[in-house]
This record gives sequence, C-alpha cells and structure tokens, in this order.
Amino acid sequence: MGTDPERSARTGIERELKRGSLELIVLHLLAPREAYGYEIVSKLTARTNGALGVTDGTLYPVLYRLERAGLVAVRWETPERGVPRKYYRLTPAGREELARLTHEWNTFARAMSNLLASEEDA
Amino acid sequence: MTGDLYVQSVIDQVPPGLPVRDQIAMDLRSHIAERLDHNQSIDEVVQQLGDPLRLAESYLAAVPLRSAPFSNRLAAKVIDVAIFIAGALAMACALWLLLPDPVKIFGAMASLFAGIFGFVIYTVVAESREGATVGKRLMGLRVVRESGARISLGQSFVRQLPFFGQFFWIDAGFALFTDHRQRAFELLTKTRTIAVLLCAGIVAPALMITAWTT
Repeated sequence: MGTDPERSARTGIERELKRGSLELIVLHLLAPREAYGYEIVSKLTARTNGALGVTDGTLYPVLYRLERAGLVAVRWETPERGVPRKYYRLTPAGREELARLTHEWNTFARAMSNLLASEEDA
Repeated sequence: MTGDLYVQSVIDQVPPGLPVRDQIAMDLRSHIAERLDHNQSIDEVVQQLGDPLRLAESYLAAVPLRSAPFSNRLAAKVIDVAIFIAGALAMACALWLLLPDPVKIFGAMASLFAGIFGFVIYTVVAESREGATVGKRLMGLRVVRESGARISLGQSFVRQLPFFGQFFWIDAGFALFTDHRQRAFELLTKTRTIAVLLCAGIVAPALMITAWTT
C-alpha cells in the first residue's frame, strides 16, 4: 500500500492525463452525431466503465472553450415539456482538430508503449 | 441549495461588465436542468459541478483578457482622486466656515485625512464588490484575479497597501514593464486590471486632454 505522497502523485498524473486529453475525448464523442452535456458525460462513463469519468464541473468549461474556439457549434432545443437543451456538434474546424489531436495521441501512445516495452531500460 | 442559487454563486465570481456572464449562467441552468431531468437531486448536481469559484475560473479560462492600457489606468486614478479631493475640500471648507476659530484648523485637517482614508476604503470595497471604482468604470476597466474571476476583499486590501507607503510610484511603474501590465502589488496578489470596453482607449486620452486644457 502506497504512502500519501505516492498516492497523491498517482492521482496527480491521472488528473494531468485526463486534463490533457479531455478536448480529444469530447471531440471524439461528438464525431458521430450531436449530443447534449449529460449525454456526453453518460457516454464517456459507459464506454470507459467509469475509468475516464469526469465531473460536470470539468466537462462543461471544456465544452464552453470548444464552442468559443469554433470547434463545436451549438443549437438550443426547447421541448414542449421540460427545459431547453443545448446540443453540441462538431464544426469542420472541429473535425480537423480531432484528426490532428488523434494523430498526436497515437504517436505519443506508440512512443510510450515502445519505451515501456523496451527491455534495455527495465 | 437550489439550482438558481448555485448558478448565482458562480456568476458572482465573474466580474460585472464581462459579457460572458449571461452566457455562462444560461449554460449552467441548462446543464443543471438536464441532470434534474434525469432524476438526480440538486445536491448530487451541485457536487458534480464543484466549487463555484473553481467552476467560474474554468469557464473564464476560455475568455481572453485584455490588459488595460497604462493611460486608461492613469486616467481612472485621476478621476477617482479628483472626486475624493473635491469631496474632502468641500467638507474642509464647510468645517472651516462653520467651526469656531480655535478648532476650525483641526476640522479642516480631519476632513482631509477622512478623504484620504475614505478613498482607500472606497477603493478596497468597490474593487472587491464591483470589480471597479467609478474612475475604472468610466474608463472601461475591471480588476480581476489572474484567472479572470472576481477578487476577494483581502486581495483588494493588499492591492492598496502601496498607497500608504512611499513606494506607490515604484509599484505603479511595474505596470510599464510587466507582461500583463501588472503593478508590483498586483503580481503579489495575483490580480490584474483588464479592459472590458473597446472604446476606452479613445476615451482615456480624450478625458486627459480635456482635464489638462480646462
């Protein structure tokens, strides 16, 4: 069992990894079709079995940033019953950014896998 | 806590005058309503959203902050000081005329000191509550944390400490050389002064020229 500083360092790494990849995650989840905030959180939790679960307080500012950067477009839908719902969809610039981030992520992940698998350093 | 109260507590951290306030409020109301619509309790929703200050700062990270031009800051300070000097002088004159001879000098002096302390206290309270004094408001400026959120009373107080020392001009001089045009005590308190009105760059020199020529 790890000590407190060790545990805190581990959670720190997890947090940094999540923070660094959250924009890619959101763009990826919006790629097939538009979705609203709660739907995005639910999809993310379901597809990763909760391993990449994020709080609303982390996700919504990211959506807001993507919207301001022109990477996602929004539309409001007001149902007959219930509250207006904000739907997010990728813009062409968002698709380009998704492709770029995916490429970067794959390159990074491959490099890390190669590094961690190499026997010389072990 | 209700959803509206939570939204308000987040919006309270966004300095008045920033046009994004309404958009953030609308976004949050919609997100909270979505969660409630999916049978979550308001306590769960609030827990998911987290600390209002942190959330406001996360939103504000997406908003580019424009550092206030030095001329606008100077003009704002001139306006504020002029208002308080005028008030203190008026009170000093009134006391000079109303009080009997031996004490009138003390009355006049007291009103000048009251003016100086009143100026500092007003600045501290106005900048922490509204993000701006009258002068800053007229010049389209707001005082914010480096994250863009509203400053606290403590930060506002420490920002004004150079006013009591002999180093006010040295402190202010930092604004000419630092990246975000921050005074030394703004760097210390992690606060900065931003421009929220695009036309203020024209208004500042115009006001200064008017003041100079009259």
